[in-house]
Amino acid sequence: MTDNLEQLINDAVEKALAGDMDAINNIEDRVTRSKAKAALVKAKREAAKEQTEKSSDENSIDSSDVKQDLTINENIAELLIQQFPDDIIKELSSKEHIQIQSKNWLIISKYLRDDPACLFDSLQCITGVDLGEESDLEVRYNLHSMTHRHAVEIRISCLRNKAKVPSVESIWRIGDWFERETYDMYGIEFEGHRDLKRILLPEDWEGWPLRKDYEVQETYHGIVVPKVKEGWE
Amino acid sequence: MGIVKGDQMVLNIGPQHPSTHGVLRLKVVTDGEIVSDIEPIIGYLHRCFEKHCENSTYEQVIPFTDRCDYIASMNNNFGYVVAMEKLMEIKVPDRVEYIRIIMAELNRIASHLLALGVYGLDVGAFTPFLYMFRDRERILDIFELTCGARLLYNYMWVGGVSHDLPVGFVETVYGFLDYFEPKLKEYNEILTYNKIFIERTADVGVLPPEVAISYGVSGPNLRGSGVKWDLRKDEPYSIYERFDFEVPVGEGTVGTTGDCWDRFYVRMLEMIESAKILRQALKNLPQDGDVHQAIPKKIRPPKGSIYQRTESPRGDLAYYIISDGSPEPYRLKMRSPAFTALSVLNEISRGWMLSDVIAILGSLDIVLGEIDR
Amino acid sequence: MIVDWLIDWFPTSVAWPGLTFVVVVILCAIPVFVFIALYALVAIYGELKISSFIQDKVGPMGQGVGLHAWRWGLLQPVADALKLILKEDIIPSSADKKLFILAPFIVFIGAFIAFSALPFSQTLIIADMNIGIFYILAVSSLGVIGIILAGWSSNNKWSLYGAMRSAAQIISYEIPVALSIVVVIMLTGTMSMQGIIQYQSGLIWGFLPNWLIFNNPFTFLAFIIFFISGVAECNRTPFDIPEAESELVAGAFTEYSGMRYAFFFLSEYANMFVVSGVAATAFMGGWLSPIPGMLNTPAWGLFWFMSKSMFLIFMMIWFRWTFPRLRVDQLMDVCWKGFIPISLFNIFGVGIWHLIVG
Repeated sequence: MTDNLEQLINDAVEKALAGDMDAINNIEDRVTRSKAKAALVKAKREAAKEQTEKSSDENSIDSSDVKQDLTINENIAELLIQQFPDDIIKELSSKEHIQIQSKNWLIISKYLRDDPACLFDSLQCITGVDLGEESDLEVRYNLHSMTHRHAVEIRISCLRNKAKVPSVESIWRIGDWFERETYDMYGIEFEGHRDLKRILLPEDWEGWPLRKDYEVQETYHGIVVPKVKEGWE
Repeated sequence: MGIVKGDQMVLNIGPQHPSTHGVLRLKVVTDGEIVSDIEPIIGYLHRCFEKHCENSTYEQVIPFTDRCDYIASMNNNFGYVVAMEKLMEIKVPDRVEYIRIIMAELNRIASHLLALGVYGLDVGAFTPFLYMFRDRERILDIFELTCGARLLYNYMWVGGVSHDLPVGFVETVYGFLDYFEPKLKEYNEILTYNKIFIERTADVGVLPPEVAISYGVSGPNLRGSGVKWDLRKDEPYSIYERFDFEVPVGEGTVGTTGDCWDRFYVRMLEMIESAKILRQALKNLPQDGDVHQAIPKKIRPPKGSIYQRTESPRGDLAYYIISDGSPEPYRLKMRSPAFTALSVLNEISRGWMLSDVIAILGSLDIVLGEIDR
Repeated sequence: MIVDWLIDWFPTSVAWPGLTFVVVVILCAIPVFVFIALYALVAIYGELKISSFIQDKVGPMGQGVGLHAWRWGLLQPVADALKLILKEDIIPSSADKKLFILAPFIVFIGAFIAFSALPFSQTLIIADMNIGIFYILAVSSLGVIGIILAGWSSNNKWSLYGAMRSAAQIISYEIPVALSIVVVIMLTGTMSMQGIIQYQSGLIWGFLPNWLIFNNPFTFLAFIIFFISGVAECNRTPFDIPEAESELVAGAFTEYSGMRYAFFFLSEYANMFVVSGVAATAFMGGWLSPIPGMLNTPAWGLFWFMSKSMFLIFMMIWFRWTFPRLRVDQLMDVCWKGFIPISLFNIFGVGIWHLIVG
């Protein structure tokens, strides 16, 4: 972003804070406008914080001294909280990621892709994580925007024995394969996926290999499968 | 194309087939010569990379990354060590950074040479393939000189590199560059501007930028569609911000932007840019400095996770590393650029002919080792 | 000629004319077969060495042991041939056995019998038919039946693709080949191979030999079309889409191995020679010396004919190691939208030229 644009946005935000919303709405370039809106949200939040003098807990980081990309992340969290107050789990979110509930994930993802302040047009990666043999599974989405050049990480956790997450295949096409891979390794079912089946492993493989409690099947088509640890030692 | 609908036939291309670039199987539904649907079936080369990583220490992961994209092992090492160093907040000496850049760019040239040569083979030109392999051999010789290995290097370590540069290395690389740069003209003459080659690749398999982004296609394939996005420039890691180079994009010179020819030619231009970076790096390479200085005794990153992207020859290579404070990664996920590139195949090759599918597949430059992991 | 001479010479010809004919045909066929085999060895060696030269590698060098080790790798093609002959002959269980076995021979016969009308020198021609060139065009397209049989009987999808492509390609390219030959026939007024060569003796434009390639611009164009279409009929790169190894594995020949595969291979080289021989005869004066009136004995005639043919074969090898491959629809475009209209125009042009100039 050039200094010129930053200046423009700053001016607009100041005017908007004084009550003149048209200053932002009159910006012609869509991208700049959305940036200005994001900046406005941030400014308003800071103002609110100063007023209420809330004791800042661990998760609401003072944004003055964090790095640029993290601030953007915060902004997006703020936007999401405004739009979907029930779905964001604030306590579990940090400056690096946003924890959300799986129920409305499809709507949220659509919002993330289409909202001018977010425009996350590219789904970088879907990572499945097993949080431990007794705990839940988690799906982590790394999103990136080619327009704003910012990134965000979304985390959704799901129950181990009833792992279900809405599919974002219709939002980002690459979701198709990434979700199949996560399903393949963790057995997380992505609801609404057209053709959810194993991708890297054979279709008749048993179990979900990257879960921490995975037990290798004894034989596969009559071939004895060596146990992982035995293979190592 | 494909106005008349006849009976459809299912054709299995691969896993053993001359031009599937490894062990890929394509389930192709054809109507005569015209392809109406493709389902790539992968996993024939699955070696449980991510499961292995959870059972080995952080150092032991590096040789596994070699074996993912075996055409550009240096770049895979690079991505991993950059991620690890960011996670552990290690600052590596300048000399190490320069050595890494030199190796990564050399490997990028080698990888592109292989991709372009094999692409020639895919469309039936045998000779450019041998020309490019002849020159790739020189790069492999340089790697052999440096670390003793020609394909799987295990060269970059967390905090440093395994060996310092050998005596006479800089001169050898200069010699290679002086030899290599004029050769690009030869490649262009025999392949790039060949009339038949243009007929075969121009306007074929057009990948529009928005489709490319939605499919997560990255690297030269994305740039071939005219999107100026290169992590080395846009999100510089290591010391790439110190170098002056261009990001070539496809312009539809002989056809439509984003066709096979553009993807091919972007790689050709990238080799020139890599050579440029190499010359700058060789010029500024610090003369002394211990390459083992910053290597930690024990690799035990603090609790936390990192998602680090780097630009491999095939595109956006990322590692998602979750550490729980133990010497073994809790979870290590590799985001492979070839995986996303292959997923777009069905989208852009429906309606083309069987020969074009081979041409499109070749132009995406996939490496099955990286797709299947 | 040789056939006539042998039939006259045979003492039994009066008593059993039928038997004589059979014996004479066999007597003629054996040397032709030996010639094709020897020529193929030379051509394969040439292909290896020329491709190596083009590709900046060394090719067969006489390393190793056995046949390969002889100087400059000269016996490499012999070793290759031996390997192919000694290999196990695999017939897929689901193949149509009879047709599968028959196919390579039909392909080979198509190329083989065309040799009987090729004029190697003034006297060395098996049979100088009055429709010689027409005969060659007719029999050389027999091969396509063999290729379709091979593709069909292999019971393999790749083979079927290859066969269908090959059929479409060879039949299409027959037309420009024939139309270019019409130009020759119009000028020379004969279809006899020797007659066509006789017409080309002497000088034209004062210093050039009166070969048809130099005769007028239209014949030159006809030569180009004939030669390129000929390359297409031999299924050589850039027209090798029937076997397109990166797409169709080996096309119609995917399931063949050993001796049967060798026959396809041999036919390809034999076909190359037929196309080059006809091109040399029809457009480059056959066995005529390039310096009119000199060195025109039968022995020299053989030398000139072989040199011209080999030069054209060299051109084909050169093409193969330089060009990428066309796509099947582009191949058809070149033929139907390019060569055929130009050939038709050529015929018209030659007619006008003949009326006006000579």
